[in-house]
Amino acid sequence: MAKEKKYREPINWNKELKLAPGYLILILWISFTFVLLGWVLLASFSTTKEIFSNKLLDSGLHFENYVKAWINSDVAGIFRNSLVYSIISCSLLIVICAPAAYVLARFIFPGNKLIQTGFVSAMGVPVVMIVLPLFGIVANLGILNHVLSNAMLLIFLYIGINVPYTTIFLMTFFSNLSRAFEEAAAIDGCPPTKTFWLIMLPMAQPGIITVTIFNFINIWNEYFISLIFANSDQLRPIAVGLYSMINSMKYTGDWAGMFAAVVIVFLPTFILYIFLSEKIIAGVTGGGVKG
Amino acid sequence: MKKKMMALALALVMTGSLAACGGGGSTSTTAAPVDTTAASAEAPAGGEEKPAEASGGGLVYWSMWEATEPQGQVIQEAVNKFTEDTGIAVDLQFKGRTGIREGLQPALDAGTSIDLFDEDIDRVNTTWGQYLMDLEELAKAVDYEATANAGLIAACREVGGGTLKSIPYQPNVFAFFYNQAIFDEAGVTEVPKTWAELDAACAKIKEAGYVPITCDDAYIVCMFGYHMSRLVGEPKTEEIVKGGQWDDPAILATAEAYADFAGKGYFSDTIASNVWPAGQNQELAMGTAAMYLNGSWLPNEVKDMAGDDFVWGCFSYPAVDGGTDGPEAANYGAQVLAINKDSKNAEDAFKLICYLTQGEFDKMLSEKSIGIPADSNNSEWPALISCAKPVMESLTTRYPWAAGGEANADMTPIIKENFMSLCGGTLDAQGFVDALKKAGN
Amino acid sequence: MKRNKGMIIAFLTPAVFMFSVIFLYPIIRTIIMSFFKIEGITDPVSKWQFTGLSNFIKLANTTLFRTSMWNLFRIWLIGGIIVMSLALLFAVIITSGIRFKSFFRAVIYLPNIVSAVALATMWLQYVYSPKFGLLKTIFSSLGLTSLAKIQWLDAGHKFGALLVAYCFGMVGYHMLIFASGIERISADYFEAATLDGANKFNQFRYITMPLLKGVFKTNITMWSVTSVGFFVWSQLFSTVTADNQTITPMVYMYMQIFGAGNSITERNSGLGAAIGVLLSICVVAIFWVCNHLLKDDDLEF
Repeated sequence: MAKEKKYREPINWNKELKLAPGYLILILWISFTFVLLGWVLLASFSTTKEIFSNKLLDSGLHFENYVKAWINSDVAGIFRNSLVYSIISCSLLIVICAPAAYVLARFIFPGNKLIQTGFVSAMGVPVVMIVLPLFGIVANLGILNHVLSNAMLLIFLYIGINVPYTTIFLMTFFSNLSRAFEEAAAIDGCPPTKTFWLIMLPMAQPGIITVTIFNFINIWNEYFISLIFANSDQLRPIAVGLYSMINSMKYTGDWAGMFAAVVIVFLPTFILYIFLSEKIIAGVTGGGVKG
Repeated sequence: MKKKMMALALALVMTGSLAACGGGGSTSTTAAPVDTTAASAEAPAGGEEKPAEASGGGLVYWSMWEATEPQGQVIQEAVNKFTEDTGIAVDLQFKGRTGIREGLQPALDAGTSIDLFDEDIDRVNTTWGQYLMDLEELAKAVDYEATANAGLIAACREVGGGTLKSIPYQPNVFAFFYNQAIFDEAGVTEVPKTWAELDAACAKIKEAGYVPITCDDAYIVCMFGYHMSRLVGEPKTEEIVKGGQWDDPAILATAEAYADFAGKGYFSDTIASNVWPAGQNQELAMGTAAMYLNGSWLPNEVKDMAGDDFVWGCFSYPAVDGGTDGPEAANYGAQVLAINKDSKNAEDAFKLICYLTQGEFDKMLSEKSIGIPADSNNSEWPALISCAKPVMESLTTRYPWAAGGEANADMTPIIKENFMSLCGGTLDAQGFVDALKKAGN
Repeated sequence: MKRNKGMIIAFLTPAVFMFSVIFLYPIIRTIIMSFFKIEGITDPVSKWQFTGLSNFIKLANTTLFRTSMWNLFRIWLIGGIIVMSLALLFAVIITSGIRFKSFFRAVIYLPNIVSAVALATMWLQYVYSPKFGLLKTIFSSLGLTSLAKIQWLDAGHKFGALLVAYCFGMVGYHMLIFASGIERISADYFEAATLDGANKFNQFRYITMPLLKGVFKTNITMWSVTSVGFFVWSQLFSTVTADNQTITPMVYMYMQIFGAGNSITERNSGLGAAIGVLLSICVVAIFWVCNHLLKDDDLEF
């Protein structure tokens, strides 16, 4: 709260002082981010004793923290899991949601508004509301007892949870595409279903990429559903895997290893982000952007 | 009833719609979906029928450990040897703590073929009690008790309602663990047996420039529970905590004892903010603090930080003036193995239990995880933990976890927060009692 | 239109099916469950005991649950004010024509894409550490010893510590939404205003703010939805047993269903369901209030 007061004042002066206060504020905030990340990076190369005595890197670089973190917990496995979950879920989401979004955007039929309202409302439903019955069902069906069926269940859930947002997002996108293409296709005798798959879906590509990136990040970092439904250590995605890594490092008092684990998990996402940040940001803001 | 609620639910959801669809959900349409929802409500209900599980002759064993932990590795080795010797295949699944706590009961309810599983003694016998097979006969057949720890077997019988329903392994005891070097330097030659002696020892340690006692948020309620139970006994403590009898003089007496210690500066400066494992790692293991009330797993957890030359000591929570219990009472227990009452392979499963809890693999487990052996023939305890042996052997009364201090989950966080403030010196004894009273139940 | 009927059905079925299975059916069942006492989450309906409103009454009478709701409310309100103010401020700066705009924007948004587990660990284990923490280091190097001595994770500060750490991660997302909203406001408005002699502050007050109404609504909605699910941060800030300062309804629900910490305590899935219902009612109420306070024809999701 103190921060807020400190920052509020310069708004008046913003342009007058030729943006200097603006720069200052941003640089302060960003330096903090960098110090935070930088310290964790340095700590991950130090020993635990050095961390506790605040003398990072006192005895040089310790790569063995990474080796330990990598070997002790199946890091490759949790990456693979998250990658598989994210890729399959994101692809299927498009296959499921794009047609629905198209129909909702283009055709008038009874129930259209109702479905839209339902989907929009679902975006606001707390996850608690849906977890209990779902857990009851899948546990009773014995789905959690087999690795493969459990993995499929996770993917099913990731898809289901993201259906409303993806559909509504793509719907906005489709309604902004010109009808001229479909009319032309209809004149050429192309049936509407074919028109969708061959003409409209490719045209929606920018929207699909945007929403997919957004879904990908969501599923990649998903925690609560995975915590409850990923019943075996072989199935854990990144967030839950990291949580258990951090816990086991805490059990053995290996702070350096813990920070190494944090960096290992953070790095791939970060590198991806450097290359894709424009697209990702477009994905986040895209939901409200018209045209 | 059902329909009404659904209609109500939908109406609610619609009021809440983000107005994004220009108020699409008018009241006239709310009736429409009820039929479809009723239909979809029927469908999954059919799924509650239990699926036939294909059981392939061998054993299915769900374990609470992770494959990467030392315990998991030893269990895997024991299972491999078992299969090699007997030709019985074992489907060993490492579920982890969360996995087994969440997943076992639903799986058992659903009739999944699980022959044996393991977890904490209280959880197995209490929460999962209805699924356990009586093991008396099986144990008698192989004369299991001849080499078992009598106290633990007795504890298993006690929590199993009189009969043996689980077999203990990896025993543990909850007591004060301390840094022998600090005790020596401060001139504390005898371990404290009474509160007054603990007071004197703390004074010497403080004099010598060390922090006498530290703790973390995760364990601090244990100090509260132990002190209460020393004063009035464990059953009474549980009654007070569950029934919200915060007026009981024992609460105030406990608070006063700790406020007194706090006033004398016996607790770590950071005790009020230690989020586990800050205290055990950064203070006890680093050699700045002397004592920590914790389980016998502690030396293992901090061994990488404490180093090889760290000498551990151990003593049971001291007796208090006019109290009911003395150092002969403590929370001790074990992980236990239990057999599903529906298991068709009970004898094989018990054979596997013997592999895990006796002889070679019991020894290996105790060495690899710096734990206490379950087999009385494995009389040599790992050096780091051997200090707990006299304590373990002197115990006659068993407390449950936290000596009843955490018996009421709705109150645990409240007791924890206020007890931390009490130890940190920001709350006085009366303030502690008042805070609990204010929280009610 | 008739000839499209088949296509409409075929195209909609998968999505509507997923929606029914994942949302519709569970929501209805959760509402029903909240009126029963259900010990195990997998217990068949025949083992449910109808108890009317007693789950709700019990929750209302449980101090710990009330605390968790109060915590959630504080997170939502105080955190919301902090996050919205900072996000709006950053959005205004970012869109004011500064250099390195995309760099700044990308870095501010960065914490959002990092796993919350990693982020919370950095804050908890580093920034707030009373031994080697960033805050301690900064304050003691500035000579502010009394500030350096503060234990950020004790009962008096833990909630604030949690809140600040959480807000840090959330600012970026809301900044992006504000920024895209500001960028959509036509430059003509500002030109006209400048010609009329309005200063920058007044332009912000009378042009940007009113036109951002819809964006505000989006942001508040999103903020509310994410806050209600507050779980992982709480779990990381209180390691083994729940903590009075950081407990939220989701954590309380998890305790009720899967048992709490090391002790063996009674479990009741019906209570968990009741918590879900209460939270949903809160979300609905927030949306309703938002819609009435920020009436606007702009469609935003």
